[in-house]
Amino acid sequence: MHNNIRPPIDYSLRFVDLQIQPRRTVTSPIWSGIESKEIPYSANYQNVHEFIPWRTLTGRIQFYQDHKWMQLFGENFAVYKPLVDAKSLSNINKEDNTLTLKWSTAHQKFGIHSTYVDLLTLQTLSRGGPHIWISESDAKILGLKDNDWVEAFNKNGVVLARAVVSQRIPKGSAFMYHAQDKVINTPISERTKNRGGVHNSVIKILLNPLHMIGGYAQLSYSFNYYGTVGSNRDDFVVVRKLQKPTWSKKTTIARGQL
Amino acid sequence: MKVKAQLSMVLNLDKCIGCHTCSVTCKNVWTKREGLEYAWFNNVETKPGIGYPKDWENQSKYKGGWKLENNELKLNLGSKTSILLNIFANPNLPKLKDYYEPFEFDYEYLKLTNEEYFPSLKPISAITKKEIEIEWGPNWEDDLGGEFENRSKDYNFENLQKEIYSEFENTFMMYLPRLCNHCLNPACVASCPSAAIYKRDEDGIVLIDQNKCRGWRMCVSACPYKKIYFNYKTGKSEKCILCYPRLEVGKPTVCSESCVGKIRYIGVLLYDQDKIEQIAKTQNKQDLYEAQLSVFLDPFDENVIKQARKDGIPENFIEAAQNSPVYKMVVEWKIAFGLHVEFRTLPMNFYIPPLSPIVNKTELFQSDEVFGNIEDLSLPVDYLANLLCASNRKPIVSALKKLMALRAFFRKKNVEGITDDDVLKQAGLSINQAQDMYRYLAIAKYEDRYVIPTLHSEFHQDNFKKQGTVGFLNNNFGG
Repeated sequence: MHNNIRPPIDYSLRFVDLQIQPRRTVTSPIWSGIESKEIPYSANYQNVHEFIPWRTLTGRIQFYQDHKWMQLFGENFAVYKPLVDAKSLSNINKEDNTLTLKWSTAHQKFGIHSTYVDLLTLQTLSRGGPHIWISESDAKILGLKDNDWVEAFNKNGVVLARAVVSQRIPKGSAFMYHAQDKVINTPISERTKNRGGVHNSVIKILLNPLHMIGGYAQLSYSFNYYGTVGSNRDDFVVVRKLQKPTWSKKTTIARGQL
Repeated sequence: MKVKAQLSMVLNLDKCIGCHTCSVTCKNVWTKREGLEYAWFNNVETKPGIGYPKDWENQSKYKGGWKLENNELKLNLGSKTSILLNIFANPNLPKLKDYYEPFEFDYEYLKLTNEEYFPSLKPISAITKKEIEIEWGPNWEDDLGGEFENRSKDYNFENLQKEIYSEFENTFMMYLPRLCNHCLNPACVASCPSAAIYKRDEDGIVLIDQNKCRGWRMCVSACPYKKIYFNYKTGKSEKCILCYPRLEVGKPTVCSESCVGKIRYIGVLLYDQDKIEQIAKTQNKQDLYEAQLSVFLDPFDENVIKQARKDGIPENFIEAAQNSPVYKMVVEWKIAFGLHVEFRTLPMNFYIPPLSPIVNKTELFQSDEVFGNIEDLSLPVDYLANLLCASNRKPIVSALKKLMALRAFFRKKNVEGITDDDVLKQAGLSINQAQDMYRYLAIAKYEDRYVIPTLHSEFHQDNFKKQGTVGFLNNNFGG
């Protein structure tokens, strides 16, 4: 059952389709959805409809981890844990007119990573470049207006983006939605002397001792969330208004003058 | 009585998730071409906000819609003479900065550059191809983006103590998908000096004849919804055509078909054409909602059916009117309302007001009162009334009560296993109606949402002449 690989039933590919990009066609034990014209795509389709066990110890979707170490750490269930001080702000010169804000990097509304927010239509329906959401009260303290440039930094790195000032953001927070494209509208950071940075520039991967469990079934740590989920999105940044963004000379030259 | 039929849409805002799929699919099909980069026949706004184009609801600025003067209907834009006098310089047009300057990126630069840094592109204007700063967009206020001070210039805050809604705890928002309302009393049609705009006889779709349009743009000002766009490339104005090529063959519009939340419904409404002028002249703007309801005809009434046949309404339109989801929601259940009826255009798209979380009530779960909290909904009833009912609260409250009663009834039925119609009675509903509403609002099957009769083109055009032709000519319009 685990190796139930079937060819696609109801559609075909031409050579030119494959020249454009790789396509997923066959069913696969490592990809739980199927490509079909009959049903909308959904993850776990094979597990649910073809009774293929999930690749966990119990063969089901597991919310509880029955493991000695997990019990010792009190993490059998999803649990709230207080912040770990990742020392991201130690020895940082905070300067004047800055605020230290809680950094959140949730997934955005129009897609996941750059699919499909990098499309021009969706950029038009958004802000046309990377942006960071900041609460109205924090913006007032920083002297920020909607659409001003901001710089968020800590010991891990720097990110530059436009500010979206909004009443829906709680005071003390800064949201930068996940994986916005830095090939558009991103200036150069004076601090790093390099291009802007992204939401991940100011966080770092933290290993939890529990990541060392096992190496079997769902308890196999690998980077990028293949296996046990990391805990790298829990940090603070120093935010300040960027008076004037720096662009490299070449970025600003007119079109067609390369 | 003169019976006419109109294809009309209901949008259930209670289910809109603001994904913009309607806007994107509409853009892809109709306005992704030179001259209309800035135009969105369908757009979704986050309310409260000033919207797209900026401040469109403010008719003291744009002079859209109608006004009542000495019991006469007059265009806000002015008399025929003053329209003609302004014909070469219409002072009430939205500017490009009120819409937004469309932008693009020169992606080829990424491949060709030998920059010392990782390359990044600055936006360039899609019109002038010069570098620009992006300062506004068709969805700038998405999910309450932008300061409250600016967003609260929203016209619907009239008569509300708006300052308290600036606080984080009192934040509220809703999505508002907007398209041409295909009005019964369209101001755009009345304002056109070239008589290029017409309301189609067979299904009430408002269209601009591209051969007659001379680009005077009076319609752009006169439409109070700002849903007519000037194509600077062809020099003519264009608007939502309710995807009539699809409707004619019984398919829903692209925005409806693609709607992820299944919030849109399309069906036939029969109405009495003789009554329209009298209704648009209703003295008190708060009575406009009720007045507009009185123009719709009961498709089961023998006399209406007889007259409809006499007036040339095809059988399949009468049948569709009897099965119309729009008739049920607008006339029978009275839960759907036209957008800004006070503009007196008698809009023919209807919106079901959204429910919202109840705030500021700790005793909520101790009381089994279902409706005591209608004033505590985070979305103020007055705001909805300003948006959908010319500030008449009563019909809005009644609709919200029906939606709440529906939930309370089914909750009790599903959770406790008790069928108790007390709460329904209080909202003026029967169990049968509740079951119908559940079927249409919650289950919302495709065949229930879209009851679209195919058009009898044999009545309207000589098909023999069209034999062998292949759609649009290569004239930079469509095709």
